[in-house]
Amino acid sequence: MGETGAVTRRGLRSLALLWRRARGLRVVTPFGPRTRRAALRLVFFAPALLLLVFLVVYPIVQTVFLSFVGPGGQPTLGNYRTVLSDPDTLNPNWFSWPPPLGTLIHNGLWVAIHLPISVLFGLWLALILRDVKGASIVKSAIFLGMVTPMIVGGIILQFLYESGPGIVPAFFGAVGIKSLDISWLLYRQTSLLGLIFGSIWLWTGFSLIVYSAGLTTIPQDYFEAAKIDGTPPLRMFFRITLPLLRPMTLVIVTMTLLWELKIFDIVYAAEGKTGGTAGSANVLSLQMYLYFVTGKYGPAAVVATLLTVMTLFATAWLFRRMVRKT
Amino acid sequence: MSSGGADYVPPKTSGRLIAIIVALLIVTNVITAVGVYYGTAPKAAGETITVIGPWASTEMQKFLPVLSAFTNSTGIKVSYNILRQEDLKLVLPVQFAIGRAPGDVIFMTSSFIKENGPGGNATDLTGVVDKSAYAAGALDPVTGTDGKIYGAVYTGKVKPGFWYRQSFFTAHNLQPPTDWISFTNLLTQIKGISGIVNPIVSGDTDGWPLSDMTEHFIATYGGASMHRNLTAGTEMWTSAAVHDIFANRIVPLLAASDFSPPLKWDSTALNGWWANQYALYFMGSWITGMVPDPTDLRVFSLPPVSGVTPGVVFGADYFFIPKYTTKLDAAKQLLRYLASKDGQTVQVKQGGHIATVLGIDTNAYPPVDRVVAQTLTGKDVLPDLDDTKGDPFQANFWSQLKALWTSADPAGDLNTILAAIQSKA
Repeated sequence: MGETGAVTRRGLRSLALLWRRARGLRVVTPFGPRTRRAALRLVFFAPALLLLVFLVVYPIVQTVFLSFVGPGGQPTLGNYRTVLSDPDTLNPNWFSWPPPLGTLIHNGLWVAIHLPISVLFGLWLALILRDVKGASIVKSAIFLGMVTPMIVGGIILQFLYESGPGIVPAFFGAVGIKSLDISWLLYRQTSLLGLIFGSIWLWTGFSLIVYSAGLTTIPQDYFEAAKIDGTPPLRMFFRITLPLLRPMTLVIVTMTLLWELKIFDIVYAAEGKTGGTAGSANVLSLQMYLYFVTGKYGPAAVVATLLTVMTLFATAWLFRRMVRKT
Repeated sequence: MSSGGADYVPPKTSGRLIAIIVALLIVTNVITAVGVYYGTAPKAAGETITVIGPWASTEMQKFLPVLSAFTNSTGIKVSYNILRQEDLKLVLPVQFAIGRAPGDVIFMTSSFIKENGPGGNATDLTGVVDKSAYAAGALDPVTGTDGKIYGAVYTGKVKPGFWYRQSFFTAHNLQPPTDWISFTNLLTQIKGISGIVNPIVSGDTDGWPLSDMTEHFIATYGGASMHRNLTAGTEMWTSAAVHDIFANRIVPLLAASDFSPPLKWDSTALNGWWANQYALYFMGSWITGMVPDPTDLRVFSLPPVSGVTPGVVFGADYFFIPKYTTKLDAAKQLLRYLASKDGQTVQVKQGGHIATVLGIDTNAYPPVDRVVAQTLTGKDVLPDLDDTKGDPFQANFWSQLKALWTSADPAGDLNTILAAIQSKA
């Protein structure tokens, strides 16, 4: 911090000198290469710094501040009480199925179900497509889900799950499971799980591509040496492939986790602003949006703050692990 | 010359260069800012005003003749922009906060106008809108808590009851019901007809058709007074009287699969109903503009019970002038026209609309709308409950009704659902 301050001071001083020099004024104070470097750094750093301060730091500080301000402008913890006691956040009967269980639990379910499946599925696909001819076509097809806007993904899910035109209910109807031959996104029993499972294909492309790239960085010598030693394939996977893919795994897990915590668009597009029937697929970001559009800015700021804290902790923990292990 | 970037020493001329670059950046930014400001700022001169409304497609085509008629009579041009009211709820507060408005006359929910009027974002129209042109109480939904009028009522749509195809009823020898028993008998009869999926189709999983239908049950069996009290919040959704209407009228029909599950798209419901997969469709009077043959349409209300004064929900369209319009006089002229007999006559002639101002010649209506307009006669006219209350009640109401409609045990879930509705009332 002290060093940054000194650099900034030096930079500002140098800028003033440069300005005087540019105007043809006589510059009394000589400045050496170190000062010029500082000035240059400041010039190039300033735009990014300004953008960060105004577009990231200021809104975050303002949001946190707003979360502690009541409707009359007075400082309060009431917004936190409102949000945390709202049945939309945590349903008092959250042990009972079907949903709504509360947005906190719903986001937790997204992480618990979507994260492992999409990561492992991507890894599995990357492994089986490693040495396959024409695999890039298959990978591109799978990656299409990733480049599809999530709002479009949500609309696609509406069609997939709608009884009648939808392929999912039709499949279950055809195999005789009539209880699942329904409009999945309409019923409380199936809406949340439908969205989670339905979004796996949208996200798997990400882990597939990152793992595929990671696999190409593992030297073939390792596998050949292991083969000569008679190591079984499963052991090779756990002892060579998986450990060497650790940096990729951490990137994928981090990005997926962040996506799941702040998930909004796919839920909004598929389930509308209430997050499904009786809020059965509601998530924190959508809850924040609903607070916002109904003029409850304090509670909206609370949810935003909670989301920021959660993502911050998750990211910090994962990055620390990544730095430590690598 | 050193090889490392860290040892790089800029030549002496770089100071001047940097100063020039910074100066250029500042100058170009100022030019851009000025250009953007004057390029997008509303022009003071020229009388083209902007109307924002929710109607698109055929509904828009039926509204544009009204604006053309206004232009012909005043010379003021009108530009019509489509924006859904759900989107306006997001756009307007932000625009108002910076003292701007996206339109000069805006169609919006009465709850929004009522809230934003006293809040200083809507023009006070007391004295501009002719109260006597409307039925008593028609302007109440846009009258602020300070007693001032902040909006006007355009035409509206009645939600008279269950629509059916006369040809289908004739083919199967069905009769509109006269009491509750004959209504349930009719549903049983319909269920026995080959090709019928459910007797009543429930449209659009957004939830508003369910709320319209529920309101009709309340206005019929709880009466207009219960509907008004629920709107005002003086009656609880968990009260015994409200509970009984759900438990004795709606839940038994749900349990007997008389209603279809809510269908995702309006068109699916409409097409299925028109193809005789469903016999009855609860919808507003705008349905007359949505079917291939309106002459085959008939409608019946739920049969009333003695001792209860039934009401009929009339979903009016409200509009207001934002405080930040730069063309107040022209906007007021348009507002007066839309709230006049002349303006509304042009609109009702297009079909699908019912006038709110008094004294419209019934001959102005197309035949099918004339029948709908007559259903209002002698009935207590009610504003749409959830439109009047707005969010968060409205979204929650729709969502909870979907839960009731899709519940495997509607009777068992009823209390929880009514309590959830009450929690946002």
